[in-house]
Amino acid sequence: MARTVKKNPVDLVFSSVTAIASFTVILFIIGILYVLMKESSLAIKQFGVFRFLTSTDWNPVTESFGALTNIYGTAVTTILSLVMAVPIAIGIAVFVTEVSPNYLKGPISIAIELLAAIPSIIYGMWGLFTLSPIMGDYIEPFLKKTLGTIPLVNFLFQGTPMGIDLLTASVILSIMIIPFTASIARDSFNLTPDVVKESAYALGSTHWEVIKDVVLPYSKLGVFGGVVLSLGRAIGETMAVAFVLGNNHRITSSLLDAAATITVTLANEFAEADKDVYMSSLFYLALVLFVMSFITLAIAKYFLVKAERKYSR
Amino acid sequence: MLTIEKRRKLEGFLALLFSTLAAALGLFWLVFILGDVLIHGVGALNLGLFVNDPSPPGVEGGGLRNAFIGQFIITLFGTVIGVPIGVLGGTFLAEYARGRNISRIISILADIMVSVPSIVIGTFVYAILVRPVGHFNGWAGSVALAIIMIPVVLRTTENMLSLVPWTLREAAFALGAPYYKVIVQVVYRGAATGILTGILLSIARVAGETAPLLFTAFNNSFFTLNMNQPMSSLTVTIFQYAMGPYDSWHSQAWAAAFVITIFILLLTITGRLIIKWRYK
Repeated sequence: MARTVKKNPVDLVFSSVTAIASFTVILFIIGILYVLMKESSLAIKQFGVFRFLTSTDWNPVTESFGALTNIYGTAVTTILSLVMAVPIAIGIAVFVTEVSPNYLKGPISIAIELLAAIPSIIYGMWGLFTLSPIMGDYIEPFLKKTLGTIPLVNFLFQGTPMGIDLLTASVILSIMIIPFTASIARDSFNLTPDVVKESAYALGSTHWEVIKDVVLPYSKLGVFGGVVLSLGRAIGETMAVAFVLGNNHRITSSLLDAAATITVTLANEFAEADKDVYMSSLFYLALVLFVMSFITLAIAKYFLVKAERKYSR
Repeated sequence: MLTIEKRRKLEGFLALLFSTLAAALGLFWLVFILGDVLIHGVGALNLGLFVNDPSPPGVEGGGLRNAFIGQFIITLFGTVIGVPIGVLGGTFLAEYARGRNISRIISILADIMVSVPSIVIGTFVYAILVRPVGHFNGWAGSVALAIIMIPVVLRTTENMLSLVPWTLREAAFALGAPYYKVIVQVVYRGAATGILTGILLSIARVAGETAPLLFTAFNNSFFTLNMNQPMSSLTVTIFQYAMGPYDSWHSQAWAAAFVITIFILLLTITGRLIIKWRYK
């Protein structure tokens, strides 16, 4: 086999060069972890781990920093956007694989992929100038009037609807992650063997029952991996939410209030941080974000690899 | 009361209707966003945008020549740094380390790196290339883009090289060619279209990145070709102008958004068409 063919000196050099190039990936991951830990050591020493993660303080004047408001903003926008995006994305995947006539499959797949290609800054700018006024003038007052009067959910819709808030940011984020989930779900659906589907049809299942009871269970690993991957993407998304979230370091129960995510805080404050502790706390935030997204993405990858093995059998 | 047959049919109809509506909603967002960028962008386009530098804040007129050139230079050097490392790394995974554990581990890590938040990469590059120098600079921006590009190019190269049939390599080995010659003269040729497409798509990916440039290349209101200085880019300019208070800034931001969106969509569509034409 190939691995023994290394007698030629040029070959030895070439193989070493390619090896070094591929190891840069590992180098970057370790490097990012090391550099972020080194830079945040001052803040880690001062605020500790548990206290930093659970403190709601974010005060550059008194130099007291905690990550909880940022983590809260990230969690709310991410979860809300997933709740909105996943049903739509799976619906699109079902449409493309099962419902659509053949001549529409290609164009719709391409359209969804183009949605993924639009840069996040365009989403953010569109959100600020177009979506946010629509949300603030029409949709949010409407939600406030309807859902806002129902007990138990009304706390979500308090305050003045301005359009610069958690809800608008989540809507933009959900549009951004639809294509990721949809394309992975579509690929997983396509792997369901026709024989299995045909046997279900032969037993008298309707089209929807085949999808619900055969295709979805068969491809659930892949779809789940796709959903977790979108979660990882949503955690780290910066520019799409930076425009419409308002960088407000408070925990609010209402979705109509401004907030801050880890990424938005970094984007707005990193270049301006003047004091050492401030800077170090921002690096600490970046470290928290890196660890969070790395773990999420690793879980997603685990499920996707498992799904791949299952289907290739 | 509905009979069970009718209920099953109704449920099926509703579910498939929902999926059709979902697809329509996806299309609606695409048309809405692109249409909006198109309408606002075309109205704000003029020649002055490309040949003039920015006028002082609040003063009408001026252009974004500095940002167009800056974006081009930063992306170009990002590509020049990132592509060779990515292609060579992918070569190692698909050829010398084919089938070994190390190859699988690096593949998985590269897949994770593809989705790591780009703003984290920005902070990393700030710590290693901006702070030691003492000021923001264009090189740092290029390096940040290259770090984002490497895992993308590496994975596509690996996949494309794996598609080249092993028998082709054996034929070349049989003629007495050493492995590096087989790779360069046989395997690369077989996979050239695929690798080039991957590079196109990765350029499309990084050309729209903003977050990693915010604290690396930063911004510059003046025209510069000096990579050791802070350098303006279209994306960071869009962020600054759109958040700014002046109407003239907003319309210039729309024009810049239009140009960059068209550029990226053209690259993406070209890439997809090549893949379709070559591999299907």
